[in-house]
Amino acid sequence: MAALASSSSSSSLLFTTPPSKLPSPSSLCPFPRLSLPISSFLSSPLSISPSSLPYPTTSTRCFASFTVRAAAAADKKKVLIVNTNSGGHAVIGFYFAKELLGSGHEVTVMTVGDEGSDKMKKPPFNRLSEITSAGGKTLWGDPANVGNVVAGTSFDVVLDNNGKDLDTVRPVVDWAKSSGVKQLLFISSAGIYKPTDEPPHVEGDVVKADAGHVGVEKYIAEVFISWAIFRPQYMIGSGNNKDCEEWFFDRIVRNRPVPIPGSGMQLTNIAHVRDLSSMLTLAVEKPEAASSNIFNCVSDHAVTLDGMARLCAEAAGLPVEIVHYDPKAVGIDAKKAFPFRNMHFYAEPRAAKDILGWEGTTNLPEDLKERFEEYVKVGRDKKPMKFEIDDKILEALKVPVAV
Amino acid sequence: MAKLVVLQPTKQPLISLLSSSLSHFNGSKLSQIQYKRKVCHPKGALHVVAASGTKKTLIMGGTRFIGVFLSRLLVKEGHQVTLFTRGKAPVTQQLPGESDSDYSDFKSEILHLKGDRQDFEFVKSSLSAEGYDVVYDINGREAAEVEPILDALPNLEQFIYCSSAGVYLKSDILPHCEVDAVDPKSRHKGKLNTESLLEARGVNWTSLRPVYIYGPLNYNPVEEWFFHRLKAGRPIPIPNSGVQITQLGHVKDLATAFVQVLGNEKASKQVFNISGEKYVTFDGLAKACAKAGGFPEPEIIHYNPKEFDFGKKKAFPFRDQHFFASVEKAKHVLGWKPEFDLVEGLADSYNLDFGRGTYRKEADFTTDDMILNKSFALQS
Repeated sequence: MAALASSSSSSSLLFTTPPSKLPSPSSLCPFPRLSLPISSFLSSPLSISPSSLPYPTTSTRCFASFTVRAAAAADKKKVLIVNTNSGGHAVIGFYFAKELLGSGHEVTVMTVGDEGSDKMKKPPFNRLSEITSAGGKTLWGDPANVGNVVAGTSFDVVLDNNGKDLDTVRPVVDWAKSSGVKQLLFISSAGIYKPTDEPPHVEGDVVKADAGHVGVEKYIAEVFISWAIFRPQYMIGSGNNKDCEEWFFDRIVRNRPVPIPGSGMQLTNIAHVRDLSSMLTLAVEKPEAASSNIFNCVSDHAVTLDGMARLCAEAAGLPVEIVHYDPKAVGIDAKKAFPFRNMHFYAEPRAAKDILGWEGTTNLPEDLKERFEEYVKVGRDKKPMKFEIDDKILEALKVPVAV
Repeated sequence: MAKLVVLQPTKQPLISLLSSSLSHFNGSKLSQIQYKRKVCHPKGALHVVAASGTKKTLIMGGTRFIGVFLSRLLVKEGHQVTLFTRGKAPVTQQLPGESDSDYSDFKSEILHLKGDRQDFEFVKSSLSAEGYDVVYDINGREAAEVEPILDALPNLEQFIYCSSAGVYLKSDILPHCEVDAVDPKSRHKGKLNTESLLEARGVNWTSLRPVYIYGPLNYNPVEEWFFHRLKAGRPIPIPNSGVQITQLGHVKDLATAFVQVLGNEKASKQVFNISGEKYVTFDGLAKACAKAGGFPEPEIIHYNPKEFDFGKKKAFPFRDQHFFASVEKAKHVLGWKPEFDLVEGLADSYNLDFGRGTYRKEADFTTDDMILNKSFALQS
C-alpha cells in the first residue's frame, strides 16, 4: 500500500509506516523483548521509501513497540494542554483535561490569548471552573511565550491543541523539548488527507504536502522521541465552541427545509468528543505504545450527510425535509452554507484500535438525543434566527418555506 | 547494551502474478498459485497456530469460484477434501497460470461426491455414510438445505458457512459491523435463517459474510461488467451521483479466511465480515478497472435510473446505495489480512481471466444504449 502511493505526484507526502500494519506485540515479532531506549533505533533508520522522511521506518517502530513496558500501573503525569481559544477543536482540550483529572493526573490548561477576551464568554471557556474545581490549573497566554506563561513548571506531557502551522507550534515544541517534556502530543487534522476514491482515510495514506499541519507533524517527529499525532474530523459534545448538530436542529425545530449540497450521500465522521478524549488519555497512559504513531482521532462509524439530518430529526422527535442543491448552480459558497465538507470525508480510527486498544463509544442516535435536550434547555430552539443563505438556496430551487 | 539483530524486510516486486512462492502465514505454509506478496513484515515472522491436523473436509459446491481456490488451499494444507456437486461442471479444471504439476497434484487428491443437495434424503444418507470432520457450505442458500447435513454428522467438528453482508439492514451509519442489525426481509434472508439454525443446533459454526467478491473466474459480472465496456471503448454509465460506496473482496483473500477459521477456537460461533480493507466509490471503481486493465481513464456518464424502464435487465451490477462492511474483527481476532488492494486485485483478475479473452457473460450494451441515446438526445 505504501509503495503504491509513492507513485503519486511529488506534491503529496507519504508516510511509509502505517501503524495499523504492525503486528501486535503479543504475537508476530520474532525479536526478544529488550529494554532499549528508543533513540538507539532512530539513529540508524532503515528506510524503505525512496524519499527521505523523518518518520521512523517499519523496522524501527517494530522494535519500539516491543520494549518492555514498565510494570507500574498508570503513572501519574503532569500534563500541559495548550488549547486554542476558538473553533471546533477547543472542546477537545476541555474534555481531555477533565478526563485526565478524573484519572488522577495533574493538569494545566493554557488557553491562547487573554483571560478577559470576549472569546472566553463562549463554551467551553465559560466553563473552565469545571477544570479548576477538579484540581486543574488554568492559564492564559501566547504559545510563543509558553515557557514564561507556565512560569518554570515542568511537565511530563504536552498536548498542543492549537496550532495549524509550524510557526505557531514550533515555539511550543522547542520549549517542551528543552524543558525536558517527555511526550509531545499534537492535534492535527484529518483534513490533510488527500481526497480519495477509496475511503476510508487510514493512517499512512497520502496527505497534502502543503498543508500547514503536515509541516508541524514532520517537525515534531524530527525533534521529539515520544510523540503522537491525532487527526480529528468533526465532533459533538456539551461545551462545543463550534456548531455541529445545532445547525440541523436550528432548521428542524423551526420547520425549515434542511438544504444539503450535492447528493446527500457524502460520508462524514462525527464523533462524540469523549471518544477523542479517551484516545488522548490512552496515549498518555501508554506512551510507549503510542510513540511515533499517527492516530485518526474519530469515531468508528461514518454517517451520510442526509443521515445526519435524519438522525437529528429523530433525536428531536420531529419530521425533516431535506433539499439537495448544487452550490455552483445556486451561486453560493458551500463552505459558508453548510458546516461539513461537500465530499466524502471519512477517516477510520484503525491505529487507535490496533495500537492503543481504544474503543469507540459514539452512538449518534443516543448522543444526539442528549444534545437535543441541551439545545432546548438553553433555549436555542426559541432564539430568533435568520437563514439568509438558506433562503437564497431555497429561492433558487423554488422551495416553499413555512412561515 | 544488548545487540539487536536487525532484519531487513526482503524487497519483493509488488506484483508477481506468475511466481508461485511460499509465504508463512499463521505458521502454516500456503502454497500460492498467483498470490502477490507484500513487503510489510519481517520474514519468518512466527505466529502461534492452532495445529488442526488433517481433517476430512467436505465442500458443498467447490467447482465454480470460491471453492476452486479454497479446495486448493485445503489440499495443500494436507486435508482430505471432497466436493459435493451434481457433476454438471467438471470436478476440477486447471486454473489460468496454474502449472501442470500443481494441477495434477491437486487433481489427484481431490475427491468427488456426486449428488443434488436439494435431495435432502440423499444428502443425509451419503454424508452419514462417509462421515466428515468439517463441512464448508459455500453454495447454501436456505436453512432447510443445511438441516440434513447437521443430521448426518452428529460429531461434526465445525460447520463453516459462506453467508453474505447482504443480510445487514440498510443504514445511514456505516460500515456494517458484525454486531449490527440484520434485515429479516432481505433478499439474503435464507443466509440469516441458516446462521440462526446453526446457532440453534448448537454445532460449532463459523460464518463469513463477504461483500462483493471478485477475482479470476468470477461468474457474477462485477469486474467483467466494467472490462467489457472498457474493452469496447464505451463510456461507463453509472447511476445517480457515482459517489455511492461499495466494497470488493478478492476471492483468494476470502479463501484464505476460510482456511484460517478451520480449527480456530477464536472463530467458534463467530461471524466475520470478509472483504477488502478499503472501500470504493462507483466512479472510483470504474477508474480502478481501467487502471488494472491498462485502459485509458474512462468516460463516465451519470444518469437517473428512475427515468428509464430497463425491464428485466440490470443496468448496473451493484446495489444503488452505500454498501460496505468493516473487516476489522477478522483482522483483530483471526490475524487475517487481505493480500490484494483494489487495483492489484483487479489486475490479477484481468491478467488471469478477462485479459486472456475469457469471461462468463457476453457483453450486452442494451441498457447502456438506452442511457446513452437519451443523454445524447438531451445534449443535442
